[in-house]
Amino acid sequence: MVVLVFSSIEFLLYFLPIFILIYMIVPQKLKNVVLVLGSMVFYAYGDLFGLGLLAVSTAVNYLLARVIRRKTGLVAALAVNIGVLISFKYYQGGAMLPIGISFYTFQIVSYLVDVYRGEVAAERNFIDFAAYVMMFPKLVMGPITSYKDLRRQLHRRRCDAECMQDGLKLFILGLGGKVLLADRLALLWNEVQVTGFESISTPLAWIAAVAYSLQLYFDFAGYSVMAMGLGRMLGFKLPENFRQPYMSASVREFYRRWHMSLGNWFCKYVYIPLGGSRRGEGRTVCNLLAVWLLTSLWHGTTGNFMVWGMGICLLIVLERQVGRLWKRIAKDRAGSKAPMICHLYLVAVIPVTWMCFAIPDLEQLGIYLSRMFGLRSAVAMYVGDWQKALGDYGLLLAAGIVASTPLVRWIYQKLEKKWFGMILLAACFWFCVHRILLQGENPFMYLNF
Amino acid sequence: MTLKWCKKWSFVIILAITGIVYCGIDRDLLEITRWESLVPMVEGRPEDDWNVQQEEIVSDPGMEGDIQNGETDQSGVSDPGASGEGLGQADPDDPENIDSRPQDLTSPGDTEEEETLPEPEPEPEIVIGRVEEDYFADALFLGDSRTVGLGQYGSLKDIATFYASTGMTIYKLLGAEIVEMPEQQGKITVEEALQHQSFRKIYIMMGINEVGGGTAESFAKAYGEVIARIQELQPDAIIYIEGILKVTKARSDKGDYINNEAIESRNEAISQLADGEKIFYLDVNQAVCDEDGGLVKDYTSDGVHLKAKYIALWEEYLKDNAVLLDWTPGESTDPAVPVDPDPMDPAVPANPDPMVPADSAPMPPAEPVAPMENGEQ
Repeated sequence: MVVLVFSSIEFLLYFLPIFILIYMIVPQKLKNVVLVLGSMVFYAYGDLFGLGLLAVSTAVNYLLARVIRRKTGLVAALAVNIGVLISFKYYQGGAMLPIGISFYTFQIVSYLVDVYRGEVAAERNFIDFAAYVMMFPKLVMGPITSYKDLRRQLHRRRCDAECMQDGLKLFILGLGGKVLLADRLALLWNEVQVTGFESISTPLAWIAAVAYSLQLYFDFAGYSVMAMGLGRMLGFKLPENFRQPYMSASVREFYRRWHMSLGNWFCKYVYIPLGGSRRGEGRTVCNLLAVWLLTSLWHGTTGNFMVWGMGICLLIVLERQVGRLWKRIAKDRAGSKAPMICHLYLVAVIPVTWMCFAIPDLEQLGIYLSRMFGLRSAVAMYVGDWQKALGDYGLLLAAGIVASTPLVRWIYQKLEKKWFGMILLAACFWFCVHRILLQGENPFMYLNF
Repeated sequence: MTLKWCKKWSFVIILAITGIVYCGIDRDLLEITRWESLVPMVEGRPEDDWNVQQEEIVSDPGMEGDIQNGETDQSGVSDPGASGEGLGQADPDDPENIDSRPQDLTSPGDTEEEETLPEPEPEPEIVIGRVEEDYFADALFLGDSRTVGLGQYGSLKDIATFYASTGMTIYKLLGAEIVEMPEQQGKITVEEALQHQSFRKIYIMMGINEVGGGTAESFAKAYGEVIARIQELQPDAIIYIEGILKVTKARSDKGDYINNEAIESRNEAISQLADGEKIFYLDVNQAVCDEDGGLVKDYTSDGVHLKAKYIALWEEYLKDNAVLLDWTPGESTDPAVPVDPDPMDPAVPANPDPMVPADSAPMPPAEPVAPMENGEQ
């Protein structure tokens, strides 16, 4: 399925400038109309059928939220929304999945529940509601934002030169992460796949797992920052989706800092309604299991996601037990948690879990993990493969690791308003354009391993 | 007023200015990296030049009986001067190279071998058969990412020489700076490298990166020109044109220019370049394709490149289908029977019409893991 991705020439040089220009010119009252129309164009570029579904879903849920008073109504409404999502996920193994449906369905669910609970009033203006569901910055990959957080901004927001340019800068920061780091790190993971997992050395298996971890992070976090930036350009404040997750000291913490909008959603609409952690350890474990079961299913229907989700869940439960034990043993030394060791544990364990995420075929996953831990000898291996990989990608990996620390954010905040920083960002933008042009004009980039 | 406005929109203005700068400087950069733009460069190369040189060689009968490498060198050296572009870097070295080259050439073992061979024998019988790894000691492999894989994961990696690079095309092959020479810093072009080293067998597999542009005819024409130039530089070498490996059926059905029909038509076209004497066509697809006429699904993860584990199938095919021209009994270090009576192996190269569609003679996709050797080296 084709998507008008943020990091494409069509988006960067055509859609975005034209849209922003129109958006800035039209009066306040018409901005949401322009936003909805623009988002429809954005979506229709890739998936006309999906646009129909999106429009129907928006209209139906707009009405539902206004009429639902009873619990049975809510349950029925949620069942329809989630039913549509599930059927697309399973139909032909998700081959026909409309773009962004996982994300906008979750937003609609949050909206219906919040309205039912009385936390927020149902939106009266259809255009404003459509703008909430459809706004293109967050339509394709989130962040999953609750209506409650956006309601005031939907009705009135400041939208001037300053917002626009601040957003643009943020957007470029994300673009850089996506194009200059994620897209290039992806080549290493591709190389390993092309070679075949049975033929890689154990060090390369680890290097590739780290590369994939960074690739996934810069891809998704890059997108999220771009979404935030686009939102800011239009006058919205979209929530932060990543907070340097690789700086965490436990898997629990990691998933409070990774794809935060999804984590928050599951926390608010699944974990807490089930009782959270207030009903004893046994019940807490069950609740965690439920959350991670659903999280696995949300990501995909192939078995590997179940392995990934259950693995994470197991680690989180274990961490809880170790934490409790530690508290009991070291009552007086509470707080002295040896953060270095915890951090080392995290950066060792997370790449392994990402491999479960990355490899859909369970047999292949088994081969990969056994190569990581040297449980199976390699076939037709090239002995120096990992030195070669380090030679080719060492700098990129180092850059990725540095960029996963708070350093980049810190520098960005220091320089963003300075002339030097602005020139740097502008250069970064055109360099990204250059990279995309090269990849686009050489359509065989993906052959190049 | 204007100043205030400029300050207000400073970042957008900076972005626009850098954009203009980018457009200004970028044009050249882009044109270097776009392979399409290399096509006319190669095609527009003074073909006549090549022909002239060839004539010179032919019209110089005195040299014929001598060590042929000598004349290769001269024509090779004169060419960069004549055609000029792309070879600038090594030009200063050339005068030295002329002096040093004959010495270079006597050092490798195969040249001695050559001298002891009865050279003037007019038409030695061409026998296709099985060879072992040492056959490839004086073999060169030219190719794209697929041949890179062969050179990295195959058993020939330490035996044969590989001038291969990711994204390589026939159009840019000769001018590509991809060859590392032990005594030199940096990399030299394939064309230059062919003037420094001599090979008896040259295997070429190229074409997957080219299917997006040109036609089968224009591709085969460029291919033929490259071979002509290689023959000029390496008159003793047997040139093997390996058919372009197909892609999996799934990859082929994806609906873009990378599809097996295009690959087949190009293979058909380049197979016509074989002359059965010095140039042979190898239908490698026999070794790795299934009934669907595409690459076997399990042999690849991206549908295009063979996994390391299955590179051996390709190598086995090359070993089974080698020209035993040099394997005269006296010289033989290899007791292998020269004639392979297997009727399943159509002696493709000897055939005047060597194109054998893979579909017509589908090799059973070999026992999956048969030729693999276990264990880490």
